[in-house]
Amino acid sequence: MSLSGISEYQPKDYKSDLKPIWCPGCGDYSVVQGIYRALAAIGRPPHEIAFISGIGCSSRIPGYTTAYGFNTVHGRALPIAQGIKLANPDLLVLAAGGDGDGFSIGGGHIAHLIRRNMDITYIVMDNQIYGLTKGQLSPTSPKGRNTCTSRLGSLEEPVNPLLYVLAYGAGFVAQAAPTDLAGMAAVIEEAIRYPGFAFVNIQSPCVTYGEEAQQVKHLKTIAESLESIGHNPADRLAAMDLAQDYGNKLHLGVFYRNPEPPPTYGDLVKERQILMAKDAVPRERILDLFIKH
Amino acid sequence: MNDFGPAGKERDAGLGLGVPTCRDLVFGMAGSGGDGIVSAGDSLLQAAAAEGYHGVMTKSFGSQIRGGESSCRVRISTEPILNPGGNLDVAVALNWEDFLKFGAELPVSGTTVVIYEAATNIPVDQIPLVGVTPRQVIAVPIAGIAKATAGTERAKNTVVLGLIAGWFGIGAVAVMKGIRKKLAKKGEELVEANQRAFDAGRAFALENPLKVCMNIVPSEAKGQLKLISDGNEMCAAAAIFAGCTFFGGYPITPSTEIMQFFTDRVWGYGGAVLQAEDEIAGIGAALGASFAGKKAMTATSGPGLSLKTEMMGLASIAELPLVIVDVQRGGPSTGLPTKSEQSDLFAAVFSAHGDVVRPVLAPTSVADTFRTTVEAFNIAEYYQTPVIILSDQEIAQRKETLDPIDTSQFTILERLHPSGTELQNYDRFKQTGNHISPISHPGMPGGTYLASGIEHTENGAPTNSGTVHARMNDKRIMKLDPLKDRKDLFEVTGNADAPLALVAWGSVAGVCREALAMAHAEGLNVKLLVPYLIYPVAEATYRGFFASVQKGVIIEQSHLAQFHKLLRMHIDLPKGVRSLARSGANPFLPGEIVAALHRLVSELQRSHEGKLQPQE
Repeated sequence: MSLSGISEYQPKDYKSDLKPIWCPGCGDYSVVQGIYRALAAIGRPPHEIAFISGIGCSSRIPGYTTAYGFNTVHGRALPIAQGIKLANPDLLVLAAGGDGDGFSIGGGHIAHLIRRNMDITYIVMDNQIYGLTKGQLSPTSPKGRNTCTSRLGSLEEPVNPLLYVLAYGAGFVAQAAPTDLAGMAAVIEEAIRYPGFAFVNIQSPCVTYGEEAQQVKHLKTIAESLESIGHNPADRLAAMDLAQDYGNKLHLGVFYRNPEPPPTYGDLVKERQILMAKDAVPRERILDLFIKH
Repeated sequence: MNDFGPAGKERDAGLGLGVPTCRDLVFGMAGSGGDGIVSAGDSLLQAAAAEGYHGVMTKSFGSQIRGGESSCRVRISTEPILNPGGNLDVAVALNWEDFLKFGAELPVSGTTVVIYEAATNIPVDQIPLVGVTPRQVIAVPIAGIAKATAGTERAKNTVVLGLIAGWFGIGAVAVMKGIRKKLAKKGEELVEANQRAFDAGRAFALENPLKVCMNIVPSEAKGQLKLISDGNEMCAAAAIFAGCTFFGGYPITPSTEIMQFFTDRVWGYGGAVLQAEDEIAGIGAALGASFAGKKAMTATSGPGLSLKTEMMGLASIAELPLVIVDVQRGGPSTGLPTKSEQSDLFAAVFSAHGDVVRPVLAPTSVADTFRTTVEAFNIAEYYQTPVIILSDQEIAQRKETLDPIDTSQFTILERLHPSGTELQNYDRFKQTGNHISPISHPGMPGGTYLASGIEHTENGAPTNSGTVHARMNDKRIMKLDPLKDRKDLFEVTGNADAPLALVAWGSVAGVCREALAMAHAEGLNVKLLVPYLIYPVAEATYRGFFASVQKGVIIEQSHLAQFHKLLRMHIDLPKGVRSLARSGANPFLPGEIVAALHRLVSELQRSHEGKLQPQE
């Protein structure tokens, strides 16, 4: 960022030459646009950004940016992202993936990044379907949903990603949709600026396997900005109350922003590094520690 | 008694009371969890180090976390020790129930001196050891002495140390110095109480001399500096020495001490350690740190290695340096968590989908764990590959006295960074003469690229082209070929043209080194090959070694003889080379290996396949 506070970067500076392979009309096109805009507003040079994903249609996203990208294995974007952040806390670390990647195969990791307050922004492109494997039931698919692996209708309740992360104590929780690109870019920017673990759930319709009710046309009819209904994002219980509408209403904007962010894991690591550096024996003399007599 | 000490024993030479005659003593002690038996072993080992002896200590516990039985073995010698030894020279039983639970781990023979707690009320001629008449059996009121001198039975272990100092000539000052150091923080009163307990134990020993003196010969190395470490701590220290600043892992026996060492130390070097939410996240975080440009490590044991497999494949295709330690224990599944086995070899070498070569290195002792770990980082960083260090519980958790290691002898390699010119049009996976491409990392201007588990072109773009895939497989596999020419990752001992051969890796190599010395002493012309590089298999090195061999044994702690099978996949072994393999937790003894060699010699003589020339 320049000293004047005005970014030297344009959204196009974060767009790579790689052409997305998403289906025409896929919600993820808007998400990557939202990310370009948010990054431009923040103004960190691309080489200071690490963008990590798992596997799935949406996990292709790091390759479409000019940041350092790492398209890893299914469900493991977050563990790898936290290693990157700890190794170099000065990096801007983004993680992204789909609902299956984040809440099914990788569902065990989110809680732990939250309780560590890792300063990482995690964007889930939630389309309620496994798109890359051609239309199977996902952890956020509504109950009763007919897919190629649930032809008679699914028998299970969906995960509520918003309630999930709020319950674990995430410091920043927001939702966005392609119905409002400017709003999406704004919450992504705010998520990145939040000092700690930030979660953005993006309703990103699958145009190939999604149902009518998940397409942008329908989303527009149910979208409602949290700001417009007077929600106070410092009120965690109110946020949890609103999060219960997941699957029925589409609340957009910031559900919760911790007004007093606790120190991040990275902050605590730095403190400990400074504390311990004083007594560290030089590397080449580390074996002195084994003189026991 | 251990019959195969490297220096031989002269204790029955009838030199009379008080004259030191032993060069090598194996102590085995057992008691209940709270008896402090392992703590006594620690003190004994430290005293031995202070007196200039070589020492090895192993511990063994019941499966209970508190209470239950615990034991330790301490071997002390004037000569370098290559394994923890066989039969005990000295057995200490604080109670028989606990002692007997350790069975073959504390083997008593006809040359063992047995010391036990008199309060057990078992007469010396009725101790519950079946089928063996020890050299001497002594009942000592250990608890009574502790109570009378220190006011508490908790000083029993100190009394035992006093007895040992008195009967076996281990320096009393050195032992007490160690105890003082250990108890210093707990106050002078406790130190004094322990001093009284120690003195009383020693006095008891001096008043009741052994039938045959077993005092250990003073070490000529007294006063020389010795280190004490186990393999796990040595591994972690070597990693920090090699520049590792990130450790991600998950607690698992018997590797956890590696993470503990990092937790205590790595911050001071600007590093971090993450006790992750699971094994996958542990290796994931380490891989992330490596992507971010740092030297990184994870450590685990069998079950964790299974879980980390997918991430290791990612490291291979993304060409990211990473060191993975697998401290082997008995498997499959939970198996024998506290016992050593060499049965993860296939998992280390082969567990991956797709065509992958992943270097596997194995240390053979606590001391060479340092060198092996530094080497693992060098290979990982230089070749941009995951490297597995295949340690085992035996090496990882036994404590050894070590001669100081000159760290200035090691070269530390760093990954190849792109030059300014290369960054102008940077191709992360560029084909080069040696298949190694300069690697950037987040934070480096001009170096941005997409790392991925999906197949990619030279500039990192995802592809599903079969042609590119074949070319990239070539690159990733061929870049490791030079490792096979690394003669320094193999150790050959004995005559180069010997017709008899032993091959062993990991902790079993230590037993074989001792067996080799015995076989040489018996005039057998035998040589030993110890590989530190397990994979890729250096075919030429093995072919060269086996060229002169008519008969041989490949020795390993694996029911399936995994190492023997791995070699047979790659080379044709001479017809007379066979496998001596068995499940873990049952250590090999040098004597049985020498016996196997003798059988091979008889076979050779019978079949007239060749003439054996005694060595020299």
